[in-house]
Amino acid sequence: MKRRQFLRAGSSSILSLPLAFQGIKIGAFRNTIFDQLLSDETDRVFVLIQMNGGNDGLNMVIPLDQYDKLMNVRSNIMLPEADILSLTDTLGFHPRMTGMKSLFDDGRLNIVQNVGYENQNRSHFRSTDIWDTGSRAEEVLTSGWIGRFMDQRHAGYPEGYPNEANPHPIAITLGPTVSETCQGMAANFSIAIQSADSLREIPGQDGQHMPEGPYGLELEYIRQIKRQTNQYADLLVEASEKGVNQSSLYPDPGNNQLADQLRIVASLIAGGLETKIYVVNINGFDTHANQVEDGDTTIGDHSTLLGWLSEAMEAFMDDVQKLGLSKRVIAATRSEFGRKIVSNGSFGTDHGDAAPLMVFGECVNGGIIGENPIIGDQVDPRDGVAMQMDFKNVFASILVDWLGASESDIAQIFSHDYQHLDIVNPCDATTPARAAQERITTLKAYPNPFIDRLVLEFHSMGGHAEMVLLGADGREVSRLVDGAYQAGPHRLEIAVPEMPAGMYYYRFRQDQVSTGGSLVHF
Amino acid sequence: MGGFSTFSLAPYSGEWTIVHAAHLLRRTTYGSTPDDINLVAQMGMESAMEQLLSDAPLPALPINYRNPDDTVAIGDAWVNQPYDRSIQNQIGERLRSLNAWTIGNMLGEGLSIREKMVLFWHNHFVTSDIRDASYVYKNVTLYRTHFLGNFRSLTKETTIDPAMLIYLNGRQNSNQQPNENYARELLELFTIGKGPQVGEGDYTNYTEQDVAAIARVLTGWRDIGFYSRNGEEPTAAFIPFRHDTGTKTLSHRFDNIEIEDMGEEEYAHLIDIIFTKDEVARFIARKIYRWFVYYEISSEVEAGVIQPMADILIAADYEMYPMVKALLSSTHFYDAYAQGAMIKNPLDFTISLFKELRIDLGTEILEQYGWWNRIARLPFLLEMRYYDPPTVAGWKAYYQEPLYYRSWINSSTLSFRYVINQTLINGVRVGDRTLSANLLDLVADIEDAIDPNKLIEGIASYILPGGITEEQLQDLKSALIPGLPDYEWTVEYEEFLSDPSNSELKGSIENRLRAVMNGFVSMPEYQLS
Repeated sequence: MKRRQFLRAGSSSILSLPLAFQGIKIGAFRNTIFDQLLSDETDRVFVLIQMNGGNDGLNMVIPLDQYDKLMNVRSNIMLPEADILSLTDTLGFHPRMTGMKSLFDDGRLNIVQNVGYENQNRSHFRSTDIWDTGSRAEEVLTSGWIGRFMDQRHAGYPEGYPNEANPHPIAITLGPTVSETCQGMAANFSIAIQSADSLREIPGQDGQHMPEGPYGLELEYIRQIKRQTNQYADLLVEASEKGVNQSSLYPDPGNNQLADQLRIVASLIAGGLETKIYVVNINGFDTHANQVEDGDTTIGDHSTLLGWLSEAMEAFMDDVQKLGLSKRVIAATRSEFGRKIVSNGSFGTDHGDAAPLMVFGECVNGGIIGENPIIGDQVDPRDGVAMQMDFKNVFASILVDWLGASESDIAQIFSHDYQHLDIVNPCDATTPARAAQERITTLKAYPNPFIDRLVLEFHSMGGHAEMVLLGADGREVSRLVDGAYQAGPHRLEIAVPEMPAGMYYYRFRQDQVSTGGSLVHF
Repeated sequence: MGGFSTFSLAPYSGEWTIVHAAHLLRRTTYGSTPDDINLVAQMGMESAMEQLLSDAPLPALPINYRNPDDTVAIGDAWVNQPYDRSIQNQIGERLRSLNAWTIGNMLGEGLSIREKMVLFWHNHFVTSDIRDASYVYKNVTLYRTHFLGNFRSLTKETTIDPAMLIYLNGRQNSNQQPNENYARELLELFTIGKGPQVGEGDYTNYTEQDVAAIARVLTGWRDIGFYSRNGEEPTAAFIPFRHDTGTKTLSHRFDNIEIEDMGEEEYAHLIDIIFTKDEVARFIARKIYRWFVYYEISSEVEAGVIQPMADILIAADYEMYPMVKALLSSTHFYDAYAQGAMIKNPLDFTISLFKELRIDLGTEILEQYGWWNRIARLPFLLEMRYYDPPTVAGWKAYYQEPLYYRSWINSSTLSFRYVINQTLINGVRVGDRTLSANLLDLVADIEDAIDPNKLIEGIASYILPGGITEEQLQDLKSALIPGLPDYEWTVEYEEFLSDPSNSELKGSIENRLRAVMNGFVSMPEYQLS
């Protein structure tokens, strides 16, 4: 807890310091940020928590300094001030969120205020599409932002998957259908499961014949799902049997939809599944009516949902900690919109605009990003909470700091000017997921220092390989290698583009395995 | 787009074969038998269309089939009967009976498009999780009665339907506290649809101003009769003092029309205004297209099929019959590329499986309800619950890009589909009865079934949309007669036909057929319609 407070106080990202020019020893650097850069592709897990229906942020994270103003316009649903769990002098949680308050106090929860996007669309479906795809309001995309990120790393997916380097599902959705956020150009990167044992081996011949037209396209889709199912069915059961949940804080199964899903997620990670992304769902936030109960605003549908959220997150965080996974897992919430500031007469709220978003984990900078929303003396009944932070900044920052996306990756994923947020902190000591790491340690880059040319020697595992030069701030400066290399030894001489003198780091990556080192440029 | 060759609503005038008949029946009914397909092939397209689209009497009311209570005896209809002190039990039992009855309607649909249209409307005018089964019965009966009726009238009736007043909070919508839930979905999902957002709160076809104004127009309605202890029929009531009598002004998208107070006539007047916009016709035409043809609407489809459908609908003053008939009779509908391109939804998959496998559910009504109740749970496992679509937009398969129909199929649901069909083919014991496929009945309808090649090709032509390849034929044949010459099947099947009382031989023949049917339903092709 003390360490967290220190990090919260020194909130600027370590990555943004020009380390190379401050005389910090390379050795020290290697132990922290550089290892982080290397381990990006190994074992980090991101859990996306979808709060479906449009969450009333004002009833979840309550701006205490606006309490009286809110009372003027939503008195029929306002929580009693005394019951609110205060986080700071000006911000508090709904009384049901005791578990999340302790996560916050412990520095394992970051609240990003007033998250949304410009020109908020108040249709559930359009707005969900915007959050799924990471588009701007006026832009229609058919792939998801995680899908595009994975497309960059897994060119050609699903052809040839699973394979030696990627034996496990890339992403898993808990629930009835695959997550649109994981939709890539050619296929969805997630498989949908209800439980670890919900996949069955499907018998029979698939046939090779590919009929023309839509019939052939749909047939090929089903064949592909069938192949995946057969390949993944046993793996999931094995992982869940190996990974035994350690937290006693989970409610009994069947009482909390979110906790039930997170329990499975924790067990699969602990059981050795190398899946990077999990998408879980909590439904019911479309509280047009009975958001609170007449006569007692601390109970009602929204209260129940927030209680579940809080209880589930506390148990999940406790579990990953006890399982020794807390440096490998972060989670973030999302909801398609907040609700209107003015309540309606049905003890509910209608579709609005921005709302808080929360990020959980040991490797998260605990605290608050952004200011409390300001509620005016007069509130137009149509108004929602104004957006101050674009949700794409939050997810882009997570992709960069947690999953190893580069600046240029982000530019391809989002057509949006990206602003980096210090949500993720450089949590050290991640453990490499696989022994494969060692297979490309024969990598050599020389001369060092280098001037205008670099020689690269490496042993390819086959398939696509890339090498990028990173500046001292961890951002990509140049992409020196980007192509397919047959299995076996390779030696490349590379002309280096002009760039400022200084310390650079190179990262070599093939499939999910990375290695690298540092170089000085004159 | 993926290869359609015709984008025309002009009537199909080519050859009419069992391929065409099978395609039409797969898309308009929940499965059919070889006899049905042969019959429709003989009828010709025009008569087939008349038969499929014709009106029919409503099915008998759903009954209490297993649990006596004080108000409804076993075997009696429970619709609009009072709830009493056993209400907790009655709620569950009536909903179960309603779900069972719905399965019974689909299994017994005959040569009629009606049940597929009922589900179309339910998926369009979504209500879900309404716990008073009399409300649900009333709602769905509206769509069963007018399954190809007037879209404008259906929209009006739906707007004040008691179940809808609950589902989208119309009952809470008052002059004091307007609730926008229904107003927004009326525009976005039920009538005109949402266009691109072109300005703040402006969605091309309507604006946020319209949502707010229409919420006010619709104030004052409440439902009466929920969990009624007196057996009242659920009805809508207009409560004048809850109605906003002020003038409501629509946006420029609706020509800035002002709506003055018209009391309980006002909602109908509003819907007439919405229906003056031709986009309403295109919107529902696209939904019909996605229900019956394919999900992708290219610019060629929009110009060649959707717009002409909308023109027919408008010319018919929003009567659905001519538009649906034109689509199902069009060259585009019978384009080879339209065939087999639809992934069966879970209800389609389940019901057609029961029909194709000739599973006997007995003749006694209470027993049938028992089976129907069990069958109703199967689509649940596959993520489709009748009377409980996941959201007000309906099932994702019919609107969510880019997956559309593909959203039915993922590793879990595909696993369950195989578990279900293998279980039914191999037989499952439930209580004191065994539920199993009657494959001998199926084979009896196949011409030249004594020839194993004809037998397999015959089954394929009835249950698969695209037939089979030579390689698949050989695979399936090796399941039927592993490593044996063709005549061994001929000899044994002829022997059985000459002496059907030989139960040993009968059992062996059935085992061979089971093996071949397991092969059929394991093919990914079997998931397609």
